[in-house]
Amino acid sequence: MTTQFPPGIQLEKEDERIMTLNIGPQHPGSGHMRLIIKVDGDYIVSCDPDPGYVHRGEEKMAEHRNYLLNIPHLERPVIHDSCNILYPYCLAVEELLGTEVPERAKYIRVIASELNRCVYTMYWLGIYGIFLGHSTMFMWPMADRELLIDLLEAMTGARVTHSFFIPGGVRNDVPPNFEDRVLRQLSYFEKRLKEYEDIFYQNPVLKSRTEGTGILSREDAIRLGVTGSVLRSAGVDFDLRKKEPYDVYDNIDFETQVLKEGDSYARSRVPYLDMLESCNIIRDALTKMPTSGSVRVKLKPNPKGSADEVYRRVESGRGSLGMYLVSNGTPQPYRLKISVGSFRNIICLPYLLKGELLGNMPAVYWSLNYWPVEADR
Amino acid sequence: MSTIVGIIKALNSGVKHLAVKRFTLRYPEEKLKFVGDGYQYDPVSGVAIAGYKGRHMLFHDKCTGCQLCAIACEGVAEAIGMVKVDNKWKQNKKAILPQIDYGKCVFCGLCVDACPFYALYMTNDYELSSFTKESLIYTPAQLAVKAHMNQDVQIAISKRGASHSAELPAPLKKALPPAQPQLESKLKETQEDKEKADDKGDTHG
Repeated sequence: MTTQFPPGIQLEKEDERIMTLNIGPQHPGSGHMRLIIKVDGDYIVSCDPDPGYVHRGEEKMAEHRNYLLNIPHLERPVIHDSCNILYPYCLAVEELLGTEVPERAKYIRVIASELNRCVYTMYWLGIYGIFLGHSTMFMWPMADRELLIDLLEAMTGARVTHSFFIPGGVRNDVPPNFEDRVLRQLSYFEKRLKEYEDIFYQNPVLKSRTEGTGILSREDAIRLGVTGSVLRSAGVDFDLRKKEPYDVYDNIDFETQVLKEGDSYARSRVPYLDMLESCNIIRDALTKMPTSGSVRVKLKPNPKGSADEVYRRVESGRGSLGMYLVSNGTPQPYRLKISVGSFRNIICLPYLLKGELLGNMPAVYWSLNYWPVEADR
Repeated sequence: MSTIVGIIKALNSGVKHLAVKRFTLRYPEEKLKFVGDGYQYDPVSGVAIAGYKGRHMLFHDKCTGCQLCAIACEGVAEAIGMVKVDNKWKQNKKAILPQIDYGKCVFCGLCVDACPFYALYMTNDYELSSFTKESLIYTPAQLAVKAHMNQDVQIAISKRGASHSAELPAPLKKALPPAQPQLESKLKETQEDKEKADDKGDTHG
């Protein structure tokens, strides 16, 4: 960690001992990206992540559509976490248009985004499990995720691409008896999460593979600019829901989950602790939610904002997710810049993998809570 | 020693699942029940009604051929095109109705939000697969048909784990009363009133 070269560009003194391995883009363990790894025997000498295979030009597409029609395509980068990726966009547009969101809509947004965080994290946990060779940990989260998808389906009408958040509130109110259904399925979900503790997190096989691998120190975490669960697993108490509360997060009682170790085990455990905390947030939001009231402010057909620029960010499943919106007074955004947690987290991979065993690569790589499609946008 | 205890605990939590109910939904035989009749939108209040976003349902007698749904879809999927039909209506002099290409539709429901005349809704029908791309294009006549789905299974949670069952779960103590307007019943009322009025007109005529 003492060398100050930018990763990947440095020219290693290569000799015959060093071999280059391309892991990806077709390799199932790589995601939609390529890792150019140089190995000396079984030890990794350098790693160069090569993202960009699923770039879709979301930012450019947003410049040709009005503020409402941008909703369906902006959620595509992370379809399991679609409420959280629309959250900063809606907050930014509302600030630009000067719209005040009804109180009930704010609570519904919090519930939807917390359910979505759990859906995303369960999917990620399944992938993390299968790449560590733990196939039960692939089956269980994939099944238990259905409980939450069922709730979101009742709420929004779609399994993953909800298109639920909209500038001015949410598209529709929650269905009748929704609270009842949430409480029932959430208590079962929590029970299931506790079973994961025994089979996965306290499993000595997992611990021996992840504890002490890919250690990220607190100073490096801050210096490299990582965010979300990677930052919190390195001992930095930074959660945007606490530090910059948006909507009604300042009314809700919850705790930030912080671990000090900074290794792969801590990085994989923080999202799990976040899910348990999300259950508490949803329960708290359900009790504090106003029982009736409007959920959506009707906007004009082609809303125009003042010529201004807005930056809003939220805590998504992968960390800070920000949207920078520039308007020149027309119905379309002049420029939309998306800053995602995935891309900021993958930056630290070359530092973490240096000197690791090649077999530990999946354990370190997937612990970064990285979603390639979101990073490429 | 702790390693052995950990492994035994992990194995034990897996073995316990021999007695747990199966969570798998046996799909073609069982179909999940959704809330209501599908996603609907009330243009007066500007708020939609929760429901599944499946295939659309078009009411020919309400559509005015204003093309707002097609304009909304232009920025999303370009799935809606307006086609000329033979029939003529009082409110639809141009005799054009939307035709939806489900090879392009992303089921976002923004067309339903755009409709100011209660003419376009979404239903619980999601079984749209076909052998050709052409048969995914639904004509206005096909969109007017209401699909009948045998969706009756819900997630049921018991002490033996989660599974699917057709029986309704007993409500918890803190059940909320239905918090939203029943648009369907309202619509039915208005329709009945209209029919009555028509009948009266006929008798007078």
